[in-house]
Amino acid sequence: MPKRPLQFLLLWVWLATTSGSYAGSIKPQQVLDLHYGEVLFHFYQEDYFTAISQLMVAQQQNLLQHHQDESELLLGGLQLSYGMPDQAERRFDRLLDHNTDRELRNRVWYYLTKISYQRGHYRGALEKLQKIDKPDEKSIAAELAVLNANLHMALNENGEAAEALKKTRAPDGWEEYLRINRGIALLRAGELEEGRKTLDKLGKENADNEELRTLRDRANLGLGYELLRAGDAVQAREYLNRVRLQGPFKQAALLGAGWADAERGDYKQALTPWLKLLELASYEAPVQEAQLAVPYAFAQLGDSQRAIYFYKQAIDYFDEEQQQLDTAIQGTQSGVLLSLLSQTDTGNSGGWLHDTPTLENIPSGHYLVDVLSAHSFQEPLKDYRDLGYLQQLLNQWLENINLYYDMVDARRLAYQQRAPLIRKRLEKQESKALYQRWQDFQSLTQAQHGSGDPLDLATGKEKLQWRTLRKAQVTLANLPPQPRHTNMLAKARWLQGILYWQIQANYKARLWDVEKQLQALESPLTAAVSKHQQVSDALDNVQVGFDGYDRRIEALRQRILVLLPRIQASRDNASEQLQQLALQELETRRQRLASYRIQARYALARSYDLIAQQSGEQP
Amino acid sequence: MNALFRGILAGLLVWPWLVLGDPESTIETGVNEDVQTLKQQVLELNRDLFMLEEELLFPSNTQVSVFVSMDVGEFFQLDSVQVKLDGKEVADYLYTRRELDALIRGGVQRIHMGNLRTGEHELVAFFTGKGPQGRDYKRGATTRIQKGLGPKYVELKIVDQTRNFQPEFDIKEW
Repeated sequence: MPKRPLQFLLLWVWLATTSGSYAGSIKPQQVLDLHYGEVLFHFYQEDYFTAISQLMVAQQQNLLQHHQDESELLLGGLQLSYGMPDQAERRFDRLLDHNTDRELRNRVWYYLTKISYQRGHYRGALEKLQKIDKPDEKSIAAELAVLNANLHMALNENGEAAEALKKTRAPDGWEEYLRINRGIALLRAGELEEGRKTLDKLGKENADNEELRTLRDRANLGLGYELLRAGDAVQAREYLNRVRLQGPFKQAALLGAGWADAERGDYKQALTPWLKLLELASYEAPVQEAQLAVPYAFAQLGDSQRAIYFYKQAIDYFDEEQQQLDTAIQGTQSGVLLSLLSQTDTGNSGGWLHDTPTLENIPSGHYLVDVLSAHSFQEPLKDYRDLGYLQQLLNQWLENINLYYDMVDARRLAYQQRAPLIRKRLEKQESKALYQRWQDFQSLTQAQHGSGDPLDLATGKEKLQWRTLRKAQVTLANLPPQPRHTNMLAKARWLQGILYWQIQANYKARLWDVEKQLQALESPLTAAVSKHQQVSDALDNVQVGFDGYDRRIEALRQRILVLLPRIQASRDNASEQLQQLALQELETRRQRLASYRIQARYALARSYDLIAQQSGEQP
Repeated sequence: MNALFRGILAGLLVWPWLVLGDPESTIETGVNEDVQTLKQQVLELNRDLFMLEEELLFPSNTQVSVFVSMDVGEFFQLDSVQVKLDGKEVADYLYTRRELDALIRGGVQRIHMGNLRTGEHELVAFFTGKGPQGRDYKRGATTRIQKGLGPKYVELKIVDQTRNFQPEFDIKEW
């Protein structure tokens, strides 16, 4: 059985706080865009703020082309998890307008069901749930069945809830959870025997890990109390006996076991679990109630002396606890709660609080922590922490903004220093000149195909030799016609012929080679001309770019400055709300203690009266 | 005295349902519109700031990002990944259980974001981890990447080799 958090049992909390396997897909996702995978990496770690931010950036940069609809659905789910149900609902509604495939529509309806459930619109949630097609996968079917059952239970339709769970085939790891929920639904529907059987079986099973043992304890405890309520104290005691004394339900089980004995009139037996409770130095409800139950049992046994002793002890206990509560109330009024709350700013992107704050130097801190961990506090506390993170984040950005100004300034300075040199070089139009020469050569080679003068393709050396021989011939022709001169002239003509022959013999190869080289040069020369234009344009625009950055940075800075005080105000409201909730809760507890104390004093007086009466009756 | 007993008992029998959970209790959303609007505005601002930062620090012409992903059996547990670019170590990352789970489920981690000139560069990557029976693994891979004008994305995917079922790097340029 895979490890699941204990809170998993509290399915309405689970539905509110996690995405569930249906939404998040239990299978590894096939990622076709890296940035979508990056979003999933943060989402799977429940770092919703970072995941939403990455997703919004990737959407803006058009980097999620293969996951367009999925990313919209994921964004809605992330917004829901991050405490933005209004935005999430609008997004999901838009997706339904869209022509999306069935699978996606099913997921959208799932999320919309969750939103309605969280808002307490149970009938609407059920209607939305009906729109989801029956899934093939067992785990998803189980998840939807639990959601269905919870909605029916919320509507007090417990029979329908039990029926929905009965029909569901549980996949690995779900069996026990479905059964305990079904058992509860049956008990609530009044089908005591069927509910008892379901929970009884679960309560007797071997459990090989702590999570299952705790689940078993819950089943036995719930069943024990239900039977106690129904008047079957004998059976109730049997189930309560099964609850482990090492588990988290020890106190509740001991208290219930005592009442089961008391119901049967066996007050002596009832004292065993109740006295065990008194040994626990605890301020929790079962111990407080045992303070009254123990002397009550002694009184029932006719032991007025011991009853008086324990009533007095109870009064002392209630006085001390009341003092502790008064201290906690005063502390809350004077801002101690805020000191505790400051410990909840853990620097990560908000979310649910998992760590208990330290209570050093905080008078009656345990009461405050109790209050903080209560269900009604979780949403406002989450808001408080989320706002704290947003505040830290924006302050960090505000510091970075100054660095961005410096970066842009440094680049502007570098531009101012380098731009004149670059402009000077650009003015030489080197690339255009080179391109022109290339074009000239190109014309020349094309002309060769028409004229075919081999000398045009002579090398520099050959051209020099050609000119030298021509010059020599002119000079020799002007000299007196002596045989020596005539021979030299003939030799020069012969050499010129040889040279021409050499050039002509290689002409085709030369022409091909020149054309090849010109062809190879075309692309880099075109690129050079284009680069020249780009650099020139960039130089013209760079100043505009710097000014654009200045304006952009300043606009962002202004947005930060506008938001920071609003966040502070909202956070102040949240802390005020938390303080009020804490005070209400502490006051409720104080009144309960006061009521216990009155009952103890009344019972004490009754015990004294009884003793006096008994003494008076004695001869 | 019996009244006391009944009073206590009546109050007492209610609270096991609180222990087990009362589905009728509506969740306190506590989320007011103001907080939601603030969150949305900060998220939009954060997106714009993030894009500005990226443009300034990692302009697209020089930007390079290295990502890590996994497609391996459940018997391999990744411990760390190191990445070197042109001989310089740019990332050395140790994974938490939570991050590892996210990778196994299909998440992709951006392990490095930096700047490179256009042209060819050498990328060397190592990963360490534990296989079946706690056996230590260390594998490396070297590749040459071509940096062009746009942003460069490189994915280091840790995959099971079908021939020996041992994890190896599969490097992909996007």
